[in-house]
Formats: sequence, structure tokens, C-alpha cells
Amino acid sequence: MNFRTIVCAASLIFFLAACSRGEQTKALYAQRCVSCHGVLGRGDGPIAALLPAAVPDFRLTVERKNVVEIRKAIVAGKGMMPAFGPALSQVEIQDMVRAVRLLSREGRRAEWWEKFEPIVYAHCSLPWEYVLGYGPPDGDAKK
Amino acid sequence: MRKSNRLRGFFLALFIVLLLPVASGFESSAQAPRLGEKGASRRELHLPISDFSLTDQLGRPFRFQSLKGRVILLSFVYTSCPDVCPLITASALSAQRALRAWEKPSVFFLTVTTDPEVDTPLVLRAYANRFGVDLSNWSLLTGENSALASVWKVFGVKVKRKARGLVEHTPLTAIVDRQGILRVVYIGSSPDSRRLLRDIRALLS
Repeated sequence: MNFRTIVCAASLIFFLAACSRGEQTKALYAQRCVSCHGVLGRGDGPIAALLPAAVPDFRLTVERKNVVEIRKAIVAGKGMMPAFGPALSQVEIQDMVRAVRLLSREGRRAEWWEKFEPIVYAHCSLPWEYVLGYGPPDGDAKK
Repeated sequence: MRKSNRLRGFFLALFIVLLLPVASGFESSAQAPRLGEKGASRRELHLPISDFSLTDQLGRPFRFQSLKGRVILLSFVYTSCPDVCPLITASALSAQRALRAWEKPSVFFLTVTTDPEVDTPLVLRAYANRFGVDLSNWSLLTGENSALASVWKVFGVKVKRKARGLVEHTPLTAIVDRQGILRVVYIGSSPDSRRLLRDIRALLS
């Protein structure tokens, strides 16, 4: 087995693992979030209309929050939103943060995201400052 | 002749297609509104409830008998429920907030978990705080799976665990009178809080 074969096999395994992670994230979002937040995270899930408060559109609200704040809402809940911390593993919580980030991307500065997305996803449980060495760009700063 | 056979076959197939959904799921879909539908179906009963012991949100033992003489509103939910449970709790909360000061000591609210694996007393306490529940006449109950299973059975609540923190259960809200007799049940995602209040007041008088 030469070096090239090993590299190809490793890449294939990495690719398959990444795909499976993505599928698990989708399934998790479908099971736990879609009923209120809707398929695209626009706050239009099947029970959203029955809730006394409006469900936020990720594109408009998540851009105002950093990863720590999003994670906190998922772990500890917020108002009527369930706390998923006691029910889910760390990896699943991270997947949820990732799903929310993905769905909120439309409201962000695309070029900044294209540059840093992989790093942020890889460390999405950590504060911006810790991952990048500085805070989020001006447009993404907490308003 | 061949044409009439074909026509008969077509009508037979049509009949089967129309009958299948009726035979398979009509009863359950008629009983409870689907996800996203407002309201709940209401049914009056007369069923004495025997005493049971569980654990409240502070980790203290709780006995159902201790509430005798009060009208009790019970709801069956779990804290990480992503769909109907928050609506059920919100309806009960609206009813609690609408009670008059002199009615409050005679009415008690119980939330019984359908997921004891996740819903520890600490988790239930956080849930109550998040909703802003007034705990002076509201307890949130958990316990051993076997103890809870017998309570679920008494009230006719079916519980099926699908994954950690994901449970399928009958979305039931019930009202028990001062003598400990189950009088009204609601099955559905959001029982009307005004209707709940009317039933509570009718049992108070």
C-alpha cells in the first residue's frame, strides 16, 4: 500500500464521517427544533402560531448573538423554549449550535463567514476571542 | 362484459383506498388535535383516583392525598419536549394567573413528568422558574419509573420513549375535584385556559 492509497482512504473516511455528522445534525434539528423554528429557522414551525410569543427568525436574531449566547439558550432554555442541556450530549449540543449558525448565515456578511466558518464550526462551543484571537467583526458584534 | 368487470375492479379499488385511512387511524386522529392545531378535546368523567407518592421539584416526598379538599389541575409533560408540552404548561399557567386571590388556596396545580430519566427535581425547578410558575400552589413531580408508570396508567397516559429527552405521550390535562375524583380530561396541545378556569370554578362551587 503506497502513500497515495493511504491518503485517499483517509480522505474518504474523513469525508464519510463528515457526511454522517451532517446527517445527524439535520435529524437532530428536525426532531427538536423544527416544530417551533421551522425547516429554515424562520420561526414558522407548525406550532409557532400557537405560542404566546413570536419565534425569532434566525437570520435576523442570531447575528446579534455570539456562539456562547446561542449555546446558552440551547443548554438552559429560554422562556418557553426547552432546556436541552439535561437531555443531550455535548456533541449533540454542538450540532445544534452548528445548525442554528448555518440557518442564520443568510443574515451575515458572507465573505467573513466563508473565511472563518470551518474554524468556527470546529470550535463552536468556545468564545470568538478564544478561537480567533479577537472578537466578531463589527457587523456581527452584539447590538 | 370485460368493460363492466374493469369498472367493478376500479370501484372496488376506490372503496379500499377510501376505507383504509378510516380503519387505520380515524379514532386516534379524531381524539386529539394534530400538531399545530389549536385546542384540545374535552371529556367529562367520574373516576376516583387512588393515592400515589412521587417526588416534588425540591426533592421532597409528595402524596396525592395531601391535596384532598382542593381542586387539582394535573398536566403530563416533560421538560425537553419540543412541541406540545410548553403549550400545555402555558395553558395551565394562564389559568393559575387568572385565579382570584380567594380561589387560590382551594386550587392546586400538578405537573407530572413523562420523562423521569431527564426530569430530576433540579431540572423541574429550572423549568418552573423559566415559565414563571408561582410555586405556592403548584408542584412538579418526578419519581421512579415504576411509580410514575402507575400514575400514567391511572390517568390513561401512554408514554413511549423514543430517545434520550424525546418521549411520545398522550397530551393530557386533567381536573380532579375536592373529593379526589377525576372529573374532566382534555387531550390536545393547548387546552383553552378560559375553559380550564370555568371547569375549575364549577368544581369549587
